[in-house]
Amino acid sequence: MDKNFQEEFTQIIKFNPPLYKQRHQFVKDLVEKYKPKKVADLGCADCSLLRMLKFCRCIEVLAGLDICADVMKEKMHTLSPLPVDYLQPSERSLTVTLHHGSVAHKDPCMLGFDLVTCIELIEHLEEPELKKFPEVVFGFMAPSIVVISTPNSEFNPLLPGVMLYRHPDHKFEWNQAQFQSWALETARCYDYSVEFTGVGQPPTGMEKAGFCTQIGVFVRKYPQTGESVQSEKHTEAVYKTVFKAVYPSLKDEKYLRNAVISEVIFTAQIIKHRLMSKHEEYGDDPERKSKFQPSMDFSFSDYLGKVVVEKNMEPFISGNEVHIPLATIFSFPKVNRLCGTFEKLCKLIAGKVTLSSDGSAVMFNIEHENEEN
Amino acid sequence: TIGLQVSSGLQDLSLRDRGGRRRDFHDLGVNTRQAMVHVQESKTGFSGRMIKLTTNHFRLTSRPQWALYQYHVGYSPEMEARRLRSALLFQHEEHIGKTHAFDGSILFLPKKLENKVTELFSRTRNGEDVKITVTLTNELPPTSPTCLQFYNIIFRRLLKMLNLQQIGRNYYNPSDPVSIPNHRLMVWLGFTSSILQYEENIMLCADVSHKVLRGETVLDTMHSIHSQVGEERFRDTCAKELIGLIVLTKYNNRTYRIDDIDWDNNPKGTFRKSDGSEMTFVEYYKKQYNIEISDWMQPVLISQMKRKRGNIQGPVALIPELCSLTGLTDKMRNDFNMMKDLAIHTRLPPEQRQREIGRLLSYIQKDDNVQKELRNWGLSFDYKSVSFTGRVVQGEKIFQSGNMFDYNPQFADWTKETRGVPLIRAVPVDSWLLIYTRRNYDVANTLLQSLFKVTPSMGIRMSKPNMIEVDDRTEAYLRVLQQRVTPDTNIVVCILSSSRKDKYDAIKKYLCTDCPIPSQCVLARTLSKPQTIMTVATKIALQMNCKMGGELWSVEIPLKQVMIVGIDCYHDTVSGKQSIAGFVASLNQTVTRWFSRCVVQSRGQELVDGIKACLQTALRNWSKWNKCLPSRIFVYRDGVGDGQLNTLVNYEVPQFLDCLKSIGTDYSIGFFSLSFCPRLTVIVVKKRVGARFFAEIGGGLKNPPPGTVVDTMVTRPEWYDFFIVSQTVKNGCVAPTHYNVVYDTSQLKPDHVQRLTYKLCHMYYNWSGIIRVPAPCQYAHKLAFLVGQSIHREPNLMLSDRLYYL
Repeated sequence: MDKNFQEEFTQIIKFNPPLYKQRHQFVKDLVEKYKPKKVADLGCADCSLLRMLKFCRCIEVLAGLDICADVMKEKMHTLSPLPVDYLQPSERSLTVTLHHGSVAHKDPCMLGFDLVTCIELIEHLEEPELKKFPEVVFGFMAPSIVVISTPNSEFNPLLPGVMLYRHPDHKFEWNQAQFQSWALETARCYDYSVEFTGVGQPPTGMEKAGFCTQIGVFVRKYPQTGESVQSEKHTEAVYKTVFKAVYPSLKDEKYLRNAVISEVIFTAQIIKHRLMSKHEEYGDDPERKSKFQPSMDFSFSDYLGKVVVEKNMEPFISGNEVHIPLATIFSFPKVNRLCGTFEKLCKLIAGKVTLSSDGSAVMFNIEHENEEN
Repeated sequence: TIGLQVSSGLQDLSLRDRGGRRRDFHDLGVNTRQAMVHVQESKTGFSGRMIKLTTNHFRLTSRPQWALYQYHVGYSPEMEARRLRSALLFQHEEHIGKTHAFDGSILFLPKKLENKVTELFSRTRNGEDVKITVTLTNELPPTSPTCLQFYNIIFRRLLKMLNLQQIGRNYYNPSDPVSIPNHRLMVWLGFTSSILQYEENIMLCADVSHKVLRGETVLDTMHSIHSQVGEERFRDTCAKELIGLIVLTKYNNRTYRIDDIDWDNNPKGTFRKSDGSEMTFVEYYKKQYNIEISDWMQPVLISQMKRKRGNIQGPVALIPELCSLTGLTDKMRNDFNMMKDLAIHTRLPPEQRQREIGRLLSYIQKDDNVQKELRNWGLSFDYKSVSFTGRVVQGEKIFQSGNMFDYNPQFADWTKETRGVPLIRAVPVDSWLLIYTRRNYDVANTLLQSLFKVTPSMGIRMSKPNMIEVDDRTEAYLRVLQQRVTPDTNIVVCILSSSRKDKYDAIKKYLCTDCPIPSQCVLARTLSKPQTIMTVATKIALQMNCKMGGELWSVEIPLKQVMIVGIDCYHDTVSGKQSIAGFVASLNQTVTRWFSRCVVQSRGQELVDGIKACLQTALRNWSKWNKCLPSRIFVYRDGVGDGQLNTLVNYEVPQFLDCLKSIGTDYSIGFFSLSFCPRLTVIVVKKRVGARFFAEIGGGLKNPPPGTVVDTMVTRPEWYDFFIVSQTVKNGCVAPTHYNVVYDTSQLKPDHVQRLTYKLCHMYYNWSGIIRVPAPCQYAHKLAFLVGQSIHREPNLMLSDRLYYL
């Protein structure tokens, strides 16, 4: 290559978005496509990929593994649930775990994953580790999909300032042929198919150099038989768990109960509020049963949804008590969605919400409400 | 693998914690005591009886001669990657030890290396040899500001290790929330903590903190507002209720303040990203966080960032659907039932509070990782809070027209004792207006009759008012005021049928600026109960009297020729545009009359210039009243935020002194002495402090009685400061008020300054009892609040010799 041309060229090569972001986006797109429930990131370093993946709503189990505990610990707290996650627990469950250990060792905690990502990992492995790597990842963990990315050394001359390797900790950097032969051999050995792609487009005219980062996507050919999983994998745990976060979820009864109680009382109060204002308009006859007519005067979005009012669902005021039938409350979409069945609703609020004697209605006492403050 | 990684640079250690640049919240390094010779030896008082107290401070202990060693670490050849730099350095753990904090160039160690400069040699995995030079740059004593910041950072890490959630400045336990479904509230229990150098020890001050969170998004709230007020008042109500609130977002752990609502924008609107490209909010949240915004018609919230946060600066747009509200709105604060429900969970009595604080300490004590971290740094805590003796100063005698009263110290209130006793100065009400709506005709009459009953014993002569009926409209009230108020009118009383703020504001605005006449607004509802009407009428009569320049009671002030000043600030959060400083100065010997003015300043302007002008007029007025100039001036300065002490000391105090000097020269031409320069004392008053005191009484913990003074142990060595518990509380823990004397040429003993301060807490005429701060501060607060909330410009100076804003 003409030296001047190369110099000129190296100055302008700059990826937008940056290469690491393109790699992350690649993984994210893959997750969107295959919707894996359990995802592990090997060599997760500062957890930046995990941080992105936790927002993918199909994922319920997220694990990270790295040989360096310090680098994981530095930002691991960013993987903790946010206050809002507690305030509005999500429908899905999510557990994030970080393990300290080597990809050259087997640990049962890595079994049963749908997707394992090894982003810019293998080039950091010493030869003996690299040798063990396929057996651990493809043989032992055996997820449905494995993604491996690594630098493409053919691209290096186009990068400014790269002498031997792109990073001093790299033990090797392969060209396309080297990577592909390793990958094909590995895939063959463990019954995976592999497709090659990459991120970081080479500049026009230099297409032969290939992607800056080469990527192999391995898909297991046959579903694993349950037996072989069980028998072979009596392995002792060798990884150390450095972090674990269980996200609040409506699948957890504790959070579901709280959410339902809060929604029930809130809904009941909306109904009560309307009932009372009607009541006031009609004067002070406390024995008169007021008719509840939902007035949906909402403009910018359908919020409460449609309320089905049947005869036996009418809330009423009796003396100092307001009765709001659970059936009415259950007909509100939010409550309905949370509980699913009326029986579930009754079960969840049992003992936590004041009900009428026959248990069919939420009851409020309105006597003390008009107290002077 | 112990090292605590300091995230980015020394700046992090000194002034930053998370996100942008942080203020020095603890006002470290403001050493005001050293300039005051008379308190070098001792700043403690002596009067009163001893009382055994415990507090929420815990000693931080370190081994003797503990120091933090700061090193600079250089690499040759230069290494870029921070990870590599760390890895190379920590190949030498046998040299530098297992415990370290390293951010890539600055290294903190709990031990001193043998040599000032240590050269280490490492080899990269590529076989490259690297020389690492570790140079000692600083040996930080445990008390140095950097070191204290360092402890605080370590402590925050500990809280994080305990899996507590950071919201704002404090940490909360999310796993055990109290939910109050009636109001859709959730309360998280958490802790505030700070580690500081106190009188003799470095201590952790830990207190319980409650975070009120709301289980609904801003969009939910907007929907509720919409269904309550309807389309017409929707936007206004949203602005009133939402602006100023703090929100949490669904996708990161940051808090934002809502500064504005952009109704012309929506999630489909675009914004410019840092790389210059445009993107819609919908796209952005989908791409970045996989969040689908469901309502595309909602407006966009605007948050102005005060500090630079990473590469984000200026206004930030937030989507209501993705924001959760925290804290309470004013409307909620006014909801008696809600506050009652909340108080059950948040007002912890002394024993319970101390128990909760103890829980935090036991978490720390029991967690292995936390203990290991502490041990490695050579630090530990005393898990028992410090105990010491405080003093309860003698109760004050209340004087009222030749009568003298003691009050029950348990209640710190003399309402009963002074009932039916003539006031010091009762201003006759010869000409006055009573304005009411037709519906409130009966209420007006009830008030009138009650006033006629209660006023004679106070010594107030009250004539029949001009009774005027109006329509229940703001304009109707204003028209009556314009037509019927004459220069002879002593006072205007308006009975309002609702607490609608606009009517109140309009009346106050007119009568405080255009037509300066004292006014009294009363809500009809407060007069509707026969059993309380006499109490209410008594209070109204007293308030009216003060507004017309009357005086109620006094305490003994032994100092002569003294002028007391109170200053407080109000920041208009709704419009966000102006700040108001209330300025109040005593006029007479008994400090029963006050001169009041305020400064209205738009954002970014310094309040101090206006305050200087206030001080000048106050001095002129004082000299008019007393035919001389004061020989001592005490300024009680409230409204100084955390971290603003330095500005106050270096900028505001010199301005006061300047002002005094110029007054001296002005007057030297006249009949006053040539070398006039009154002695000045400036005391910073702080109500929001983390310290709590508990009296050990009968084997249990109780609130300390009013008059408890603390000036040892938990005060700061570099300040001339003290705490006073002056008020009593019915529920929960009493909060002590912190007084920091930042400038003092009075030559008074600390005991006298403490006593004077406590005496002034008795002088607030809107409450016949002891209050939390000296009366002038509370007056200044009242004034600033009225102006900031209702009037928005400086009231007419004709009113300045009366407490018209009570």
